[in-house]
Amino acid sequence: MNKEKEIDFKISVKGNIRDLLAFKNLASVRKKHIDKAPEDFIKFDPVNNLANQLHPSKQNLVISEIKDETKSAKTFKFIADPDSNTKKLAYFRAGQFLSLKVEVDDIPITRPYSISSSPSDALKGFYEITIRKEENGFLTSFIWENWKVGTKIESSGPNGYFYYDPLRDSREIMCIAGGSGITPFRSFAKEIMEGKLNITLTVLYGSSEEDDILFYDEFKDYEKRYPEKIKIINILSCEEVNLPDCEQGFMTAQLIEKYCKLDNSSFFICGPQIMYDFIDKELEKFSLPMKRIRKEVFGEIKDVVNIPNFPKKIAEKTFKIKVSIGNVLKEIPANAFESILVAMERAKLAPPSICRSGKCGFCRSVLISGDIFINPNSDGRRAADKIMNYFHPCSSYPMSNLEIEVPRSV
Amino acid sequence: MVEEINEQLIEDDFDAVVIGAGNGGLIAAAQLAIEGAKVILCEQHNLPGGFATSFVRGRFEFEGALHELCDFGPETNKGSIRRLFEDDIEINVDFVEISEAFRLIINDPNEKLDVVVPFGREKFINMMEREVPGSKDSIIDYIRLSQEITEAINYITESEGNPDKDILIKNYKNFLKTAPYTLDQVNDALKIPKRAQDILNAYWCYIGIPSNRINFTFYAAMHYYFLIRKAYIPKYRSHGYIAALESKIREKGGKILYNSKVNKIIVENGQVMGIETTKGDKIQTKHIISNASPTLVYNNLIYPKNEIPSRALKNMNARRHAISCFVVYLGLNASVEELGITNYSYHIYDSSDTEEIYESFKTLNPPKAQATICLNNAIPDCSPQGTCILSITAFFLPEAWKSVNPEDYFNLKNRIARHLINTFEFATKTSIREHIEEIEIATPQTLARYTGTFGGSAYGYETDPWDSFMPRLMAMNDEKYVKGLEFCGGFSANCQSYTNALLSGQIAAFLTLQQLKEKGDPQ
Repeated sequence: MNKEKEIDFKISVKGNIRDLLAFKNLASVRKKHIDKAPEDFIKFDPVNNLANQLHPSKQNLVISEIKDETKSAKTFKFIADPDSNTKKLAYFRAGQFLSLKVEVDDIPITRPYSISSSPSDALKGFYEITIRKEENGFLTSFIWENWKVGTKIESSGPNGYFYYDPLRDSREIMCIAGGSGITPFRSFAKEIMEGKLNITLTVLYGSSEEDDILFYDEFKDYEKRYPEKIKIINILSCEEVNLPDCEQGFMTAQLIEKYCKLDNSSFFICGPQIMYDFIDKELEKFSLPMKRIRKEVFGEIKDVVNIPNFPKKIAEKTFKIKVSIGNVLKEIPANAFESILVAMERAKLAPPSICRSGKCGFCRSVLISGDIFINPNSDGRRAADKIMNYFHPCSSYPMSNLEIEVPRSV
Repeated sequence: MVEEINEQLIEDDFDAVVIGAGNGGLIAAAQLAIEGAKVILCEQHNLPGGFATSFVRGRFEFEGALHELCDFGPETNKGSIRRLFEDDIEINVDFVEISEAFRLIINDPNEKLDVVVPFGREKFINMMEREVPGSKDSIIDYIRLSQEITEAINYITESEGNPDKDILIKNYKNFLKTAPYTLDQVNDALKIPKRAQDILNAYWCYIGIPSNRINFTFYAAMHYYFLIRKAYIPKYRSHGYIAALESKIREKGGKILYNSKVNKIIVENGQVMGIETTKGDKIQTKHIISNASPTLVYNNLIYPKNEIPSRALKNMNARRHAISCFVVYLGLNASVEELGITNYSYHIYDSSDTEEIYESFKTLNPPKAQATICLNNAIPDCSPQGTCILSITAFFLPEAWKSVNPEDYFNLKNRIARHLINTFEFATKTSIREHIEEIEIATPQTLARYTGTFGGSAYGYETDPWDSFMPRLMAMNDEKYVKGLEFCGGFSANCQSYTNALLSGQIAAFLTLQQLKEKGDPQ
């Protein structure tokens, strides 16, 4: 640049004197703006209001109806608890789940359950959740004994990413469901029938026995009423099959190919862990792009010791964890085969959790010292967190004595 | 069970409480902890960062908000943020230099423009002369003036807000004479051709008001730092340095509480006495640094209500909350080479009329502006091989979203996102729609959900000439309405942007430390 020009450079916007006066007046101009403003409070912010309606940090619910679905499954209908601050239920997207907070023997724990009713049912004032009783299930045994009409339950807002997105997914959805994994697809189906979701649904639903099939009559009815949009194929792994239109065997690539337009479908998969292991291998045969396969998170891993890299020699060990949570510093025992989240729940520390699958990050904590095992398939941490020793207790297992800092729950 | 939960509550004295773990709050807490103050940081969310965050979907980790960090600078020419991080707070975080400022595309067929705007003084001048022959001299004047403005601001900062008037008049007269005016007014006075102004003004969407309202001082200083120090982004997204700040606070003995929303600031006779949280914590302190806006503090938090100075309510009502953002985050299953996405940053406008576009922010009609980032063109390995990350940002004023119902919300998001993707494809002649593997959409509601900011506003208060950097600084002492209460973040005197928010945290910490020293503590 020209040096001379720099020295000579003088600007004038409205004239030399007026410009300097304008600067001098900046403070008084500001004062005048404030002087003439009202002294009122702001009473309402529509943006935060809608944000709270969509994403309440908690919802107080009460059971209004219980329906037996099969010999081992019930549908619980929840409405807003009239004695609470929850006045409206949060709207959601078909496929999302609620994290329910349950106190079992004085120990508060959470469980994610897919919503089996339709999004518009939430606007009408209810959610439905369908639960299957697990053999020797700690929580489900408690639920079967204790949940009655009138029981109050605290829930999160709707969560999860297992929903149809028109910009990403094909309009032909191939659902692969196992066991209670059918529940989110009931929500999809209901929304289709309400004319609010413009997709077609083909559901391949695996069950072990005929009387384990959830929503058998319902889905048959949906299919009859909307033959262009909804199709259900029940697949039974038992030897003897009496029901009509069922497939016998497992959910093999061959079977999938029989019912599916492979090059033009998005796969939505929801079921127990063992089904994922099986389906992954079957779908591999088609070399589908990853964007065509969406899987719901399935909660905590049941048999972490069988994961290839898990150090088997410590599987039976119990370690000590020094937990700092709020104002409390407490040493608790922890089994190597159970998540750190579970250890903290047992110790009644009420740690935060939502997805229990390593993905949502709600339980994000600091590892101060010690070694942990993280299942590589459920490591949803951010890159920087991996470097800086932050971890998700719901998908992490102690491999030594630990020292950790955990946020309090909401 | 209630007992166990109650045991976790904090009932204690602290030298200082920081409300909110955004850019400003984290720096404030870190600086206080480094100086030995007993500090506690309360954050309503389960994660630090506020807007400065990242999130994981499938095999992608998306940057939440940052496009370009201003005044970081290379090691050989450190800017204020690099000095803050490396020298003052002493965190070690990888940053990546951005190769060019942005590609500007104006779609209006009558004023069609497609130009790559470079960093660097000479390159910038040459580009302008090439695009708008005859503009060179006026652009040189513009840069000279911008340089003087940054020097003046440095002088004022070094004088701790008490500059010598004679020195200002002697050395920084051009700064004084332009500070009261808008970008348009000064650019016209500099005789910059209209077409050249269109290119010069292209950062306007990062300020969030039209060029006939943007304060020249604020714009020119930012622009000058971009020109001479380029732009940087953190290698591991915003969360990369945020997690480092978080760890630093703990390392220096500071305490952090997540899921803990402050719902009361206790004030007695005009002096801060403590805070309470929705969980039930009761903390005594004489010093609060609030990353939450003055609007939230005066409107919702000060307790009892009769301690709210009426002047503070007038102050907050005089100011306007700035725009909020709408972001479409896309994880694409093809590489930038396969897709033909050649640039890191795109500013795509329907027209060069900034006022017309700003007016459109008040409605839910298809957005007329977008600022789009392709992270892989700065950090090639930010996503797995054969994939890339694209984020498209559009803007809305809070009022546009006032009548949206929950049942319309998801379809609305989708409709706007579809338009933004189409516009990007049209402007860049690329095809991305078929490659979407992951999609997430943030709205003003999302911003409100994670930060509680009024109206989901992302840019603090609008920076009209009367409420821009200089007038805010000049009024700082007069507008201190509660003793012991300082503000940091985008709503503070420093104004918006990552850079200003970060620096504001340090200023608030120093002011608080000064007051603590006057009293004889910290211990």
